[in-house]
Amino acid sequence: MRNVEFRIPQAMFDELFAHLFPGDHDEHGAVIAAGICESARGTRFLARKLFIAREGIDYVASKFGYRALSADFVARVSNFCAQNRLCYFAIHCHGGADSVSFSDVDTDSHKRSYPALLDITEGGPVGALVFAENAIAGEVWARNGVYMLDSMTVIGLNHRRLYRAPKKSATIADNIYHRQSLLFGARGQEHLKGAKIAIIGMGGVGSLVSEWAARVGVGEIVAIDYDKLEPSNNSRVVGATRWDAIEVLLNSRFAMLRALGKRLSNFKVHVGRRVARAANPKITYDAVVGNIVDEKVALKLKDADYIFLCADSMQSRLVFNALVHQYLIPGTQIGSKVSVDKATGDILDIFCVSRPVLPQPNGGCLWCNQLISSAKLQEEAVSEEQRKRQAYVDDPTVHAPSVITLNALGAAQAVNEFLFSLVGLHDDEGQAAGYRMASPRARRWSKVGCACETSCPHCGDKKTSVLARGDRASLPCRAVS
Amino acid sequence: MSEAIKLEVTEAINEVRSSFSGHQVDIEPDDQGGAFVRIHEVDLGPTYKPSETWVGFQITFQYPFADVYPHYIRHDIARADGKALVTPFNHNQTFALPSGGVSAVMVSRSSKRRDPVTDTAVVKLAKVLDWIRSQ
Repeated sequence: MRNVEFRIPQAMFDELFAHLFPGDHDEHGAVIAAGICESARGTRFLARKLFIAREGIDYVASKFGYRALSADFVARVSNFCAQNRLCYFAIHCHGGADSVSFSDVDTDSHKRSYPALLDITEGGPVGALVFAENAIAGEVWARNGVYMLDSMTVIGLNHRRLYRAPKKSATIADNIYHRQSLLFGARGQEHLKGAKIAIIGMGGVGSLVSEWAARVGVGEIVAIDYDKLEPSNNSRVVGATRWDAIEVLLNSRFAMLRALGKRLSNFKVHVGRRVARAANPKITYDAVVGNIVDEKVALKLKDADYIFLCADSMQSRLVFNALVHQYLIPGTQIGSKVSVDKATGDILDIFCVSRPVLPQPNGGCLWCNQLISSAKLQEEAVSEEQRKRQAYVDDPTVHAPSVITLNALGAAQAVNEFLFSLVGLHDDEGQAAGYRMASPRARRWSKVGCACETSCPHCGDKKTSVLARGDRASLPCRAVS
Repeated sequence: MSEAIKLEVTEAINEVRSSFSGHQVDIEPDDQGGAFVRIHEVDLGPTYKPSETWVGFQITFQYPFADVYPHYIRHDIARADGKALVTPFNHNQTFALPSGGVSAVMVSRSSKRRDPVTDTAVVKLAKVLDWIRSQ
């Protein structure tokens, strides 16, 4: 186990912090039941449920040290973890502000109790976290050893990182980022370099997000799209040339040449990679020719720091929403739409949206806000032949209007949202969830309030919810062999 | 693609089997983790002639988020009173089983909003059958 990170939603962190530091300078305790995500980038523990230990009842005087969680409390919560296949993390606080570590009494206590807790929770892992006001230390006990926590990330509108002690960072950013680092700071620039973002859909919206992310210095991009370029994409896919779509062949009157053109034309993700590398030769760019609905592809995103959904399908919306909540990865769904009266051809409405989704109740969940249609999910899953027979969909050869400048409205809002989150530039007052919608015809931006359902299978707190379950729940993806 | 049926879909199939115990229930996996389900000898009541039919539907891989519709019944079903079957009944359709399509009448009753925990495939089927019987 390496690069051990503990991720916690802002609302849960606030509740925990208020309990640990009420101003009495005393020690307090709690437990978090967490999911787990293991990947090549490291191990992430994902805070799912907080159990506050009540003073004098659950958190009591200890014969070994000052205070400890009561045996009843530990039994109840560890049993909960076992039943729900979650990891048990005991929490307490120390004095001090910017650095913290376990005491000898703490580590002795871990040695006494964690081997048994590992058995009770059927392999855990289990562990402990100790907080100071601006610092955290942690120890993780797994079947194969004991590991130290590297950091905690608080996932809110701003991402906050906590360490054992203040982390040293570069004082000057690379000169090519000089002007933006005047806003982000050298540390902010480092966060960008260390970030892995995912872009689902590399058409008119995704290609913009990809180029901008590369230019601002994001270290790693995973871009997913199975489409090849067509001549009509040139007007809005950034970096696409007539050669990418092999226009000469695709526009030929000979079917054989058109077929050859289709075969030779470039994939959108490969154009995105070319543009990104031109902007930032050091970038790690994973251009995935595939569909986010396939489990193997979706799992490439489970350790991302941010996900941009720039694809249209309901299926991709569902997988995006599941990834955000199951793996505690914030994201934004972006789109623009021009509604046209089918009978008259009149333009009815034009709007562009940026829908940020934070992985916590009231975070803007797409399912709670009825932005994922059950009926459409079913329709998209049946074969094309069946769809045609059942006349579910409009003629796929009739395309909806799409304009690069309209795409850019939602895309710019979303990338700014991501940048401000990562470097901590959002106003605290802006914490409430909400979508942003531009109505270019009315020359207006508006904020759309979000709904939340406690029984939601993605963001809700019921047993059936996948919130923060990580690898221990399945994604709503196509099965792959 | 695997022939494996996803756990959520298998659970839904088990619910169907237990609700229709005594009926023959055929299952064919689709190639994405979902399955086609066909229940035999289902009674539609005196409104229809013949009154007995098979009922088929596909549970897709994104179930329980995805709706379960449309449903299919035997192709030669008609109203006993001689009136025509109108939308959402659709004639000249095929229940597209991987082993071979079956001529059918399609009953297209989609649910705009559903609760994936409580609105299971068998609950949806019961609602569709109730609706058919009540016509």
